[in-house]
Amino acid sequence: MQQYYLERTLQAVITVVSVMTLAFFLLRLMPGNPADAYRAELIQNNPQLSQADIDHRVEQKLNVLPDAPLHEQYINYVAGLLQGDLGESINEGVPVSEIISEALPWTIFTMSLALLLSFAIGISFGAIMAYKEGSYFDNGLSVLSIFCNSIPNYIVGILSIWFLGYQLELFPTGGRYSTEMEPTVGLLEPIQTLAFLGDALWHASLLILSYTVVAAGGWALRMRGNSIQVLGEEYLRVARLRGLSERRIATRYVGRNAVLPLYTALLIAIGFALGGSVILEQVFTYPGVGYYMIEGLEARDYPLMMGVFLVMTVAVVLGVYIADLTYGLIDPRAQTRGGDHR
Amino acid sequence: MSRHADAAPTAKTQTRSDAILTCRDLSVEFTMDRGTSTVLNGLDIDIERNEIIGIVGESGSGKSMFASALLDAVVEPGVTTGTITYRPAEGREIDVLDRSDDQLQQLRWEDISMVFQGALSSFNPTLKLRGHFVETLEAHGYDVESGMERTHELLSDLYLDPGRVLGSYPHELSGGMKQRALIALSLVLEPDVLVMDEPTAALDLLMQRSIISLLSALREKYDLTMVFITHDLPLVTKLADRIGVLYAFELAEVSGTEELLRSPRHPYTRALLNSTPDIESPLAEMQPIEGSAPDPVDVPPGCPYHERCPLATADCAAVKPAMEAASETHDVACHYWERVPDEIDLTTEVSR
Ligand code: SF4
Repeated sequence: MQQYYLERTLQAVITVVSVMTLAFFLLRLMPGNPADAYRAELIQNNPQLSQADIDHRVEQKLNVLPDAPLHEQYINYVAGLLQGDLGESINEGVPVSEIISEALPWTIFTMSLALLLSFAIGISFGAIMAYKEGSYFDNGLSVLSIFCNSIPNYIVGILSIWFLGYQLELFPTGGRYSTEMEPTVGLLEPIQTLAFLGDALWHASLLILSYTVVAAGGWALRMRGNSIQVLGEEYLRVARLRGLSERRIATRYVGRNAVLPLYTALLIAIGFALGGSVILEQVFTYPGVGYYMIEGLEARDYPLMMGVFLVMTVAVVLGVYIADLTYGLIDPRAQTRGGDHR
Repeated sequence: MSRHADAAPTAKTQTRSDAILTCRDLSVEFTMDRGTSTVLNGLDIDIERNEIIGIVGESGSGKSMFASALLDAVVEPGVTTGTITYRPAEGREIDVLDRSDDQLQQLRWEDISMVFQGALSSFNPTLKLRGHFVETLEAHGYDVESGMERTHELLSDLYLDPGRVLGSYPHELSGGMKQRALIALSLVLEPDVLVMDEPTAALDLLMQRSIISLLSALREKYDLTMVFITHDLPLVTKLADRIGVLYAFELAEVSGTEELLRSPRHPYTRALLNSTPDIESPLAEMQPIEGSAPDPVDVPPGCPYHERCPLATADCAAVKPAMEAASETHDVACHYWERVPDEIDLTTEVSR
């Protein structure tokens, strides 16, 4: 067991370090080498700057010491990352970490809502479909779920924003909240807080909807499959003969045994939700981390792009890592390699 | 066998003096695309109070259907017909096949309980053993505290450590432990009858033997009637007072165990015994009986065994033999049961 934890931890650390390394080399080998490009730009615009000054500014921007030997640059870069120094955005002129920490809560807000919503809807319908396996209800919803699950969520996004946003003008077409709104979150001002949250939710609703529609289809199909399997198990028949109520069987037997295997998938989905936000936030001009990723990409703002990329990677690794470590606690059936169990 | 002596002898099937379960013309049918499949065909059998009766048959002989039918628990779309009469020690007779869902829920587990074939997967994998006992007691409105005391006693009777077993998830127990825990679970509501369908199939030989002896002890202690359904004739002779042999969804022979081993009257029973080189030997060494069991959709007319029987005549193929009493405690369904012992030698050394 201990060895299992150790292995998983090592695996997570190695993944993160590899991604950091990759980021470093990408940054250096990127077409047109951002460091050189930036340096050339600096020299052109500020001919009076000394070589040392220029080096210093390049380092500040890219978190890379341009003239130091490669290994020194690398150590310096990683040390910076570990302290949260992701460099400075070339276009915005502020530290990347600042942009991310300002944008991240919004992405977490929308994505966690979308995830929870899709999960709740998906498993509820999935279970009902399994109970009614083969009925019109099941067949209809299965087709619908497969359909929803196979269209990319940004297509749903584009359609909904065009129809509900531009045509019917029911929803805002971008932004986090209305311009006239004062961002207030506090216990002392409950009314303003509620109004603000409601407004924020209204702005995020189409984005959340687009993600939910697609993801719920996937959860429903998985839950349906798991539940059908459980419904065919011997222990279910025995439970019925023992006279347990249908309610207890639905929750403690079917529900629990069908949902638990989805736990890992849910945690991994949380990790990937950040990545999933990239295109959706672009479609809805919603300034979360995904939005800034594209922003950085378009403007060749390498530090910004890399910063967001790193945050997303860490989120995925963390999701998988937590799923691995805690699955044994959540599901008693989980057995680790080597055959010993908890 | 002495307590069967006062049973009133009749021309046909004997009616036992104190039958706790009486099955008459018990049939199970499944309607399928290619026709109606009869997987249990007109069984008449009495199960006496406090006896252990073994029901032996090959796979596909209908023995699992018989087990399910006793609790009116044949899975859909199977249809059970005939009558099963349950006579509790006190109170009125109960027609098992004619009960409402609520009444059935009460009958099952409280009066007639069952240990299933899939014993190793009979527990909810995400629920500790304690939960299984508690929820069963609660579902039937039993007092949980005294019920759990009984559980502890049952588990101890089965040589299990109650604290450890109850605090475990199913996968944390070995097959033998799970099997015994399941027997305890089936007895937690103090039923009169325990039906067991292949309860030892997944276990090794040693564990099988030990469970057999535990069952005998449980019968004495809790005044149980047991129906032990298996394909393993040598095993069930260690335990059963009487044995019924099922062939092709019908009873071929029912007899006290010793009499059955000493002088089986049905050619199929003889073949079954002869396929066991030594009654003590493991089942794996059994010689298969030639031919195959008939298809339930297309049961041949006449004696169901005639296609495989060495004594079969044209008569056998045309006329179904009725159950006849070979002795007070021995029924057999064969036209030539009187000749059978002379015609087919028993090659197996029989002992108990
Ligand atoms: S009735 Fe005929 S075919 Fe059937 S077992 Fe007896 S002898 Fe064999």
